[in-house]
Amino acid sequence: MNVARRRALTAFLALGSALTFLPDSAAAVANRDREKPEFVVPPYVGAYQPQGTDEQGQWLQADEAERTIRDLPVVIQDEELNAYVRSVLCRAVGNDRCGSARIYILRLPVFNATMSANGTMHVYSGLLLRVRNEGELASILAHEFAHFELRHSLTRFRARRSASDALAWASVLVGFSQNSGLRYGTSFQDLLYAVHGSLAAYNRNQEREADLLSFAYTTQSQFRPSASADVWRAVMNESDASAVARGQRTNRYGGVPFLASHPSDLERADTLSLMANRIPSAGDYDGREQYRTAMARWIPEFLSDQIKLNDFGGTEFIIARLASDGWTADLHYARAELYRTRGNPRDLISAIGFYREALALNPQMHAAKRGLGLSLIRSGSVAEGRIALQAFLEAQPDALDAAMLRTLIQP
Amino acid sequence: MIRRSRLLAVLVFISSVFIVALPSLTHAQERTAVRQGFSFPNDGSARILVFRPDVTVGAQSTGGLFEPRADWTEQARGHIGTALDQALPTLNAQIVRIQEPIGSDAQLLRDYSALFGAVSQSIINYQFFVGNRLETKKRDNRENVFEWTLGEGVRTLPGADQADYALFITTEDHYGSTGRKLLQIFAAAAVGVGVTSGLHAGYAGLVDLQTGNLVWINADFAMGGDVREADGAVRRVSQLLEDFPGTLPISGERGGAAQ
Repeated sequence: MNVARRRALTAFLALGSALTFLPDSAAAVANRDREKPEFVVPPYVGAYQPQGTDEQGQWLQADEAERTIRDLPVVIQDEELNAYVRSVLCRAVGNDRCGSARIYILRLPVFNATMSANGTMHVYSGLLLRVRNEGELASILAHEFAHFELRHSLTRFRARRSASDALAWASVLVGFSQNSGLRYGTSFQDLLYAVHGSLAAYNRNQEREADLLSFAYTTQSQFRPSASADVWRAVMNESDASAVARGQRTNRYGGVPFLASHPSDLERADTLSLMANRIPSAGDYDGREQYRTAMARWIPEFLSDQIKLNDFGGTEFIIARLASDGWTADLHYARAELYRTRGNPRDLISAIGFYREALALNPQMHAAKRGLGLSLIRSGSVAEGRIALQAFLEAQPDALDAAMLRTLIQP
Repeated sequence: MIRRSRLLAVLVFISSVFIVALPSLTHAQERTAVRQGFSFPNDGSARILVFRPDVTVGAQSTGGLFEPRADWTEQARGHIGTALDQALPTLNAQIVRIQEPIGSDAQLLRDYSALFGAVSQSIINYQFFVGNRLETKKRDNRENVFEWTLGEGVRTLPGADQADYALFITTEDHYGSTGRKLLQIFAAAAVGVGVTSGLHAGYAGLVDLQTGNLVWINADFAMGGDVREADGAVRRVSQLLEDFPGTLPISGERGGAAQ
């Protein structure tokens, strides 16, 4: 066995893993944070143009993707809603900054928002459904904007490239060593884990950096800073509710899975809470009423998307959270639809009660008459059910399923 | 993204293991098909609607990652546009171009471009090349059947009322970086493993704007011609339009082996 060659190869593999670890080891982040005071908003230059081939390439790809997304039917084109969400972003990050972002609201019942290299922000309707006030929405939008300001798409791309370059050479060198009678298979496996683990850790650190900068914006925007922790607590509670209703084990938030791209929801909720307490000159603006007013037309639609996900526990949690500000006819109706969709005999009885509560608050809510009629007929109260369906058909004779409903009310 | 995606991370993890380990694919790389019974009008009366070509140009990193390059893409768009202007008159037809549509027309065009992309990928995966071909499509191959359609909805495409056919063109180039080439040489010389360097793929298709049928398609996974240069783009376009059913017999630079 050639000891010198073996040493050289070991050194190379060690160097490879050291390099991929170095840029964002926990110690490096901690050092960097210690040097600068917390919650400082850096100066901002508008109309930023990408620098260098890598960044120009990332922007080109993002520009092409934006051309595509702009014309997709999944994008909600409603001008009023778009203007409102933009106004929350502008309040959160400041008018000079928000000009760099273009918001596309996607009608997808998923809790998510994303940011591209060129300032394209995707806001999912599932996010708008889950937050209760402007403060909560602003915390997410500000976090995404922070990714843009910190140019995270670019640095993440570079980290992935360095990692895959190192692995490519390492795998060829290991093949070479095996041809020479050496066995480095185990070392290569170790390197593989090390590189992928450090890439995931790198992503998690980017998320933490974005959380930090989004808190810095809060010092200027005067949004109540603890709103951001509320979002993540609700996400955990929803996930638990969803799991419990399905008879599954709930998530464990204590540790971080090796390949997780984001810190755990619990870590985020706790860290954001701590930061909220540390923040100097915190405001207390929440925008609860404003948010309710702006979303009044949309919440029923987003709830109807959510009900179709067949996630009983999660949906029930969302409805109850929205109802913490008081039950409305729309919320009673959504809950009734949720129960009627699951459709156990006991669910139909519950649904009948919820439809009646909706109608008590808003007698003009015709869709509730339809659901009430169908639930009553299915539960054996045929005569009463037919009266409700009749009332629905008189109000909406051209409903999509009117012909089918008429067959149900014929004696 | 604000949520962690564990599944994605695992997939990336698994796929990256194979970045280098795969030997280069050696199946046939070019194929053309014409719909059975289709004949292109040879009196020059056909009108072809040409859409903005889909051009992607970048580098391939040592590890095989695609690195988009804005400057190269811009050069390629310009050169391919010029080369198309030169090549289209050799097709025995009138060329129709429209302004880039906006609003619902843009949405419709985007939908159909995506549908064309999906159908072409299906043709390439399931009928053309060895690997994932479906049994039904193998039978079609034996019986010389080529039957794919985008549906009659193409009649509503912007500009469809002024033309008989629509021409879609797509090219994708990943130029192997110096690091990738060094890796390729080293892997071949020292280990005896084949590492591919670079990807040069493209396809062009002709859609009947009355029926939505795909009447001609040409796909090539090892295209020649460096699209970053004017001469290369001319060669690339001539390869894309190779075997076009209505081509006039002309003398010009044609084909050539892929690099």
